[in-house]
Parts: sequence; C-alpha cells; structure tokens
Amino acid sequence: MSREGRLSGGVLVVASIVVSLVLVGAYLAAGGSSYEPKKTQDPCNPRPWSNPQSLGQIANQFTISALDGAACQLGVSRETLARALATPEGRERFKQRYGIDDEKLARAIRAGLVRAVDDAEEAGALPSLIAGPLRQTVKSIPLDQAIEFINDAESFLSNAESFLGPAQDIIEQLLP
Amino acid sequence: MPDSPRPRVAALALAVGLVLADSSIVVLALPEIYRELDTSISGVTWVLISFNLVIALAAVPAALVARKFGPARTAAVGLAVFAGAGLACGLADELSTLIAARCVQALGGAAAVTAALELLPATVGSERRAATVWAAAGATGAALGPAVGGLLTELVSWQSIFLIQVPVALIAAVPILAVAKHEAATGIIEAEVRQTGRPHLWANLALAMVSAAIAAALFLLVLLLIEGWRLSPIEAALVVSVMPLAAILGSRMTERVADERSRAAAGAILVSGGLAGLAFLPKATILLTLPPQILVGIGLSLVLSALTETALGGRAPQAIHGGWTISSRHAGVVIGLLALTPIFTADIDQQRHDAINAGTAVILDSPINPLLKLDLAEKVSAQLETEKGKVPTIEPAFEPKPSDPGERAEVEQLQGELQDQLDRGATHAFSTSFILAALLGLIALFPIGLSRRVDL
Repeated sequence: MSREGRLSGGVLVVASIVVSLVLVGAYLAAGGSSYEPKKTQDPCNPRPWSNPQSLGQIANQFTISALDGAACQLGVSRETLARALATPEGRERFKQRYGIDDEKLARAIRAGLVRAVDDAEEAGALPSLIAGPLRQTVKSIPLDQAIEFINDAESFLSNAESFLGPAQDIIEQLLP
Repeated sequence: MPDSPRPRVAALALAVGLVLADSSIVVLALPEIYRELDTSISGVTWVLISFNLVIALAAVPAALVARKFGPARTAAVGLAVFAGAGLACGLADELSTLIAARCVQALGGAAAVTAALELLPATVGSERRAATVWAAAGATGAALGPAVGGLLTELVSWQSIFLIQVPVALIAAVPILAVAKHEAATGIIEAEVRQTGRPHLWANLALAMVSAAIAAALFLLVLLLIEGWRLSPIEAALVVSVMPLAAILGSRMTERVADERSRAAAGAILVSGGLAGLAFLPKATILLTLPPQILVGIGLSLVLSALTETALGGRAPQAIHGGWTISSRHAGVVIGLLALTPIFTADIDQQRHDAINAGTAVILDSPINPLLKLDLAEKVSAQLETEKGKVPTIEPAFEPKPSDPGERAEVEQLQGELQDQLDRGATHAFSTSFILAALLGLIALFPIGLSRRVDL
C-alpha cells in the first residue's frame, strides 16, 4: 500500500464522529425522538363535545363520555374498558384481571352514563327536560342494560320507550 | 506434512468462520424456534446465550488442550464434536435439548477455533498474517451468520441451520485430519513454543464491550424486523445483509489505516452512531434502517480487526491469546444479551399495550358508527389474544369491510391509522435497548484509549 493511499488515524476518527452525528441529528430532526404510540387521555379529564348535529353524532359522543366516566371510576383507561365491554367473555376477563365484581362494574357504568347525560346537556345536545329523567333512569338501570346502552346508544336514544316510559313522546319531539 | 498449504488455510478459515457464524446464525431463526418450541422470548434467547457463554468459558482451556495434544488433532476432534452436536440441535424437539446440544457444539467450536489459530502461523508463514486471516474469517462468519440463518429458516426450516453445518464442518476437518495424522505419526506438534506476555487486558475488555453492542444490534434489529414489523425471515435476512456488505467496505479501510487504536476508536464510534440511529428511527421503514446498518457494519469490521490484532500483536502462544479474544468477544455477547433481554422484553410488552390502547383510541374517536367501532375494538382485542407476544396483525379485525362505500373508506382510513400506532409501538419498544447498546460502544472507547499495542 502506498503512503498516498493511507488515511490518517485522526481523520478516520473525526470522520466517524461527523458521520454518526449527522445520522443521529437527521433522524432526530425527522421526529425520531417522538415516534411512539399516541398517549391515551386520562378518562377523568373532561373531553369536550364537538357540536353534534345528528342523533348518530350525539350517540357517538354519548358513548365516549359514558366510557370515560365509567373508566374513571374503575381506574382503567377508556380503551381498556371499551374492549372489555364488547363481549361477555371480554367482560369476564376484565373483571378477573382487575378484581372487579358485577356490583362495582354496574356502579361505574351507571356513573359513566350520568356523566354522558351531563356532558350532553352541557353541550346543548340534550334538553334539560329530557336530561333530568334520563339521569334518574340511568342511575338505577340494570348492568346488562347499562352496557347495552353504551354499546348501542343510538338505538336507546332513538327508542327510549323501554326505559323512559312516559317521557318517550317528549324525547321524540326534542331530539334532532 | 502435506505439501500444499492452500487447502489447509481454506479449511482453517472455513472452520473459524463456521464456528463464529454460529454465535449469530440462529438470530433470525429465534422467532420461529420461539413459536415452534412454545417458549418465551427470554427462554429462546438462551439458544444464543448458551452457545456464546460456553465458548467464552471454554476458549482458553481449549487453547491449552490444543497446545498439549496438538492443534491439528484438537481442531479435527473439535470439528467432529461441533458437527455431531449440530446434528443433535437439528433433531431437538424441546428447548432444553436444543440448549444442551448448543453447549456441546460450543465446546467443539471453541476447540476448533483456538486450535486453528495455533495452526495458521505455520501454514501461512507469519504470525501477523495468521492473525489477519483468523480475524477476517471470524468477522466474515459473524457478519454473514444472521443472513444465512434467515435464508435457511425461510427456505427450509430452523433445523436446517444446524443440519447444514454437519457436512460443512466435516469438509473443513478433512485437510486438518491430514495434519493431525502427521502429528500422530511424528509426534511433532507444530505449535509456537515461546510464551510471551499476559493477555492484553484493555484490548480484550474493549472487545467484550463492542461485541455486546454488536450482538445487541443484530439481535434487536432482527426482532424488530420480524416481531415488530412482521417481515418474513428471508426478508429480514435480506435487510440485515447490509451489515456484512458494509463490513466488507470497512475491511478495505482497515488496509488504509495502520494505527490500530484509531481504527478501533473509529469503529466503536460508528457502531454507536449506527445503534443510536436505530434508536431514533423516525418511521417504521426498512429504508431508514440501512444508513445505521452501514455504520454498524463498517464500524464492526474496523473495531474487531483492530482490537484482535492489538490483543494478539507480538504475543505467543497465539492459540492462548486468541482464546482470550474469543472468550472476551463471546462474553461480551452474553453480557449484552443478558443485560438487554429483560429491558426489551418489558418494553415490547409495554409498547404493545400502549399501541393497542392508542389504536383503540383512534377507533373510539373516529366518526364511524358506534356499533361498528365497538365491534372493531373487540376484534382487535381478540386478535391480540391470538398472537402470543407479537405485535398483532390487524387485517383480520377489519374483515369483512362494510359494503357502504363511505363507511368502507372510513374503515380503511381507520385501519391505516391503527397500523401506524402499532408500527410506532413496535419501533419505540426497541429504542431504550438500542440506546443502551450505543452507550456500551461509547464506553468501549476508554479501554480502546488504553489499548496501546505492545510488541513483547
């Protein structure tokens, strides 16, 4: 090997440092330090409603508020609870994992439904005339029906006969 | 003594390359072994750790055996044991059997590699040339190992990785047997007789640290590609083959810089830089893994050869000092894997959980029908249950797609967003481990700074 073809050791070390810093700098500048899953929100924090226009949109946000409220009571994430409530098997696994009995789960879900009614009323999506009786009704709703309410809020809100009885006519007139 | 040295040099280089490839060849097969033998990630890493641990412990005693009973005989017996244990590995149907066979394989391998270094000076004509051939064969084997293992796993099976080693080891043993017969017939042991110097502490310590970082780079990257990004072993093999290709490029630089300490320092910096790049990937894209891999590949060829040459320079017997370098390198691999495995397995679990939650949040916050979104959330959850330890594939959760075009478009967008969350989780899960491995490479600069070559 001729002397001309040789690299000085110092040049090699400096070149290595520069190349390494350029690579790491470029990756950090491109967002390498924040490339991670989206952080989920604390369910106990309020989640503002975004001006729902249709019954479907109200039902959607009602579900989210109810899940937030129930998850906050249970000390789990809204996402974990949503997956747990989707099937009876999921619910059993969830209860076992977190040591929760039916009574505690029912209390939490009822509290979630109350929060959903409160949020809907505050957002102007549910008139006070309906919110009052609806709030009273969900406070004593059986567990299975409460879960069904969260899973299919639209059907419940559009067909409130089953749990509001006489208030149904008023609801049909007042809901969008 | 047989006449032509070429077949012997080739056989010795093949033996060294084969054994040192074995320390990394199973990396790409680990996910397959993990599923087939129904074990845990921590459990399956012992297929890798056991081999490296036994080599680390056996290298120096094996070198002593080679000097006492003759290097050719030791190398031939070592290769035979290596081949036999390889057969047992290929036939193993339980993790414990596989790990036990790997330990025996490592014993044979340690004997073959250290004895080869004792035979090489007489075969190639000089100690320095012998050290270069030996280090190059080892580096090539270690770098090629994962790619070859991945190809075999995908094209045949993980068992084939071990079974194919049997004939290769026996082919390497044939020319060495001729020397062994000569040893037996004449009683002449062609080994260095002088004894010079203690093991080079700083060079060997640096070798251990850098090897830990390099092992982590290979192992973590392979896991990221297969378990995180769901590439097949053959695809992952193609991706990680960038490292040995870059190592070839690095070996050309080796010839242009005489100063071993500078080469070692530059190599350690490049390995650390590459690992830091892998820690901060800005997107789950194969293309972005290539520049860091190039840095690691060039770095490993510079640092391993420089430190091996420093550790062996002017020292004798070569087999003993070579044994120390082998021991240091493999101890480093073991330390790297033992230190990082619990960290990244915990991170994988946490990130998998975070990604699933983030994905569920995306579904819940989407404008699709609440019934459909809860159904999707449940399907994603069910998918998670079926895919043990893996970042789940989400396609089945989104089938069948809604027939309404508007709803279908929303669901497809949702699928893309959910996939993005899973990719983020899978990639981020390895960040801490890559950063720690990069730090190991940087810490190695201290012993490198103290590793002046001393010709004794």
